[in-house]
Amino acid sequence: MGLTLNHFLVLGAVLFCIGLYGALSKRNAVAVLMGIEIMLNAVNVTMVGFAFYNTVKPWSTYLTGQIFAIFIITVAAAEAAVALAMIISIYRKRNTVDVDEINMMKW
Amino acid sequence: MALYQYSWLILLSPLFAFAVIIFGTRMWDLATRRRVVAATAEHEAEEHGEVDGDFQLIHLKGPRGEDLVFEDIEDPKVPRLTPGARVSGYLSIVIMALACIYSWILLFNTAGVISIAPPLPAQGISLGQISYSWCQGSFCQGLTSYTVSFHLDNLAIAMMVVVTTVSLLVQFYSQGYMENSAGYARFFSYLSLFAFSMLMIVFAENFLVIFIGWELVGLSSYLLIGFWINKRAKPEEDRLSPASAAIEAFITNRVGDVGFLIGIMILFANTGTFNFNQLATAVTHMDKAVLTAAMILVFCGAIGKSAQVPLQVWLPPAMEGPTPVSALIHAATMVAAGVYMVSRTFLLFAAANPAAFQVVAWTGGITAIFAALIAIAQTDFKRVLAFSTISQLGYMFVGLGIAGNVYGPGPGMFHLFTHAFFKALLFLGAGSVLHSLHHAMHREVQDMRLMGGLAPKMPITAITWLIAVLAISGFPFFAGFFSKDTIIGLAYDNGYYALYIITLLTSGLTAFYMLRAYILAFGGKGGAWGGLWGGTYRGEGEPHESPLTITIPLVLLAIASIVAGYWFGFFSYIKPGAPNLSFSVILTDLKTWLTVAVSLVGLAWAYALYTRVELARINAVVQGNAVLRVLHRILLRKFYFDDLYDLLIRYVVLGISHIEQAFDTYIIDGIVNGIAQLVTGTGRDVRKVETGRVQAYMVGFFGGIAVLAILVFVLAVFVK
Repeated sequence: MGLTLNHFLVLGAVLFCIGLYGALSKRNAVAVLMGIEIMLNAVNVTMVGFAFYNTVKPWSTYLTGQIFAIFIITVAAAEAAVALAMIISIYRKRNTVDVDEINMMKW
Repeated sequence: MALYQYSWLILLSPLFAFAVIIFGTRMWDLATRRRVVAATAEHEAEEHGEVDGDFQLIHLKGPRGEDLVFEDIEDPKVPRLTPGARVSGYLSIVIMALACIYSWILLFNTAGVISIAPPLPAQGISLGQISYSWCQGSFCQGLTSYTVSFHLDNLAIAMMVVVTTVSLLVQFYSQGYMENSAGYARFFSYLSLFAFSMLMIVFAENFLVIFIGWELVGLSSYLLIGFWINKRAKPEEDRLSPASAAIEAFITNRVGDVGFLIGIMILFANTGTFNFNQLATAVTHMDKAVLTAAMILVFCGAIGKSAQVPLQVWLPPAMEGPTPVSALIHAATMVAAGVYMVSRTFLLFAAANPAAFQVVAWTGGITAIFAALIAIAQTDFKRVLAFSTISQLGYMFVGLGIAGNVYGPGPGMFHLFTHAFFKALLFLGAGSVLHSLHHAMHREVQDMRLMGGLAPKMPITAITWLIAVLAISGFPFFAGFFSKDTIIGLAYDNGYYALYIITLLTSGLTAFYMLRAYILAFGGKGGAWGGLWGGTYRGEGEPHESPLTITIPLVLLAIASIVAGYWFGFFSYIKPGAPNLSFSVILTDLKTWLTVAVSLVGLAWAYALYTRVELARINAVVQGNAVLRVLHRILLRKFYFDDLYDLLIRYVVLGISHIEQAFDTYIIDGIVNGIAQLVTGTGRDVRKVETGRVQAYMVGFFGGIAVLAILVFVLAVFVK
């Protein structure tokens, strides 16, 4: 019994589901954003897990998952910055961050 | 042979005149026309002409200060023609004169009077210089070649002489008749266009070219009937507006042309050629029944163009056009195109079953007596002549139908030849009267009940008209005597006894209604020469003899109306080997004198009735007698043909149109609009999906992924 790939995958799946639940059910836009961040990190865990247990040579493929995770973290940071800026902007305009009320772009 | 080869100049010179006038001198005329017309002393009134293109509306102050608005035709109001207009007329006339001289030279040469060139071969010659193929070069290898080609033979020359001569005289005459009309230049350009189109029919070597010419004369006829485009209808005189009459003529002709075109197509499909000479040999291999059907269909075109029953309805309204047009197009030449076309395709008709020629002859015979009966009751001066034209065209078709192979198209063409001159004379004479009455009464008068006793006032018109009346009646030694009696006699000789009786009766009727028209216009009770020369004038004003431009053509045509009949070699000229007319045969034949007797009875009857009895009394007697009244009514209403067509179109044609319109509105439009409504309706409902709430989209997105994942899992596990 040791740490196997399945542990990583289950952890990733659980994290993903928590994030998804948060993103779908929260009304606060910041909470939705947090849900999305959790989902991204769930993916990162999965990526790193796969990479760690990868037995395929050569090294370039060996490292792919880890590099991907770093990329995702970078993009997530940028996304968080943009999304938070938008949320602040919306809040200034409409005095709310409730996603149910931000529904101007309909039919 | 160069004399013959260059005859294409006759064909193309009127086209040249048309182009120069319409693009050149007419523009000059329009550019230099004065915008305000000066007052004329005649009306003693202030006159302001508003020139708007070719058409004018004239506002006059009447003698008591009332406002009078005249239309273009109503009162002549172009006091002076511009140089551009005059040059248009001169150009057209000079070119037509040259063409006319050339065609007379051709005629004299081929008839043997002069000998510049050897006579034409019986087949005629092709005019290679202006013939061309529509598809040339290697590209067309193996394709059917459609050629535009022209040829010349004796038949063409005889017709060409008629066309160019009558055209020339009518154009000369128009100088006087149309001098006050605003569209003077336009008129001459149309006349030139007509001459070109007609000559195209004359020169045609194949059906394709004759059909092009056929449609072009239809177009010129349309343009010229509707020449006075501002003129309104006169329902009280049962007269259409020229614009409507033009449309009626055009559309009625189309009905016949459908048959013509189908006939040509059948012939082409079976023989592979349009060329008349090639067809003459090729059709001998065709199925007789098909050929007969094709020829009857081709004859439908002639029925339309030559105003035969049942398509005669367009010709009387066509008289709304200017009188020179009626003379040229609707009496002498264009309506004879049907006769010419049947003559041209005579060999094809001869190769078909006898039924083909019987259709021709019977159509002609029925038309002849039908139109002659109607003409008796008409009171409109030009309309009598219109019906007489229809009737005489019927004679020509009888002549073609019964002639048989010995005579060929000779008798029919001979009547065309003589008829062109005296009928043009009748129309131009009528035009002279109308012109003069217009000046006398200051309005357009065509009703013979407002004429009478005009002979001493306009002696040249009267005497030339009388000559034409005698010529058309078949009075001995005038032109009609020779041509018409030949046809009537041939009907008997070739065993068409019923047609013989019909044509004989018609000749009596012709004599009656023509002398009636003469006496109503020029004579009357109390005139000299037993009522033939003068009498009571029933109109107003003081009519005078027309100017020289009008009377000179009358005199020339009067001479032709006598002389034309003495061309006894005509039959063998048209068809080598045909027997010729000769005095000894004509004068010793009992049938000739029987025909003359019938004509004389007609003349005597008209003379006795109209010179002794006042017109009002004749009317009273007719209206007082029940039978006569009904008969008169039927004839006046033209056997109710127009009313029948009116009903037919109003209820049957328009009824079907309404049904089709309903189909279009409800079925076709229904399908199209229904689809559009379905799409917009679906869109209107489905767009509710776009709620604008980001979490709803996410549910859709992840739900979709979940569904796909389940699908893939199921497929991977269970389907393998």
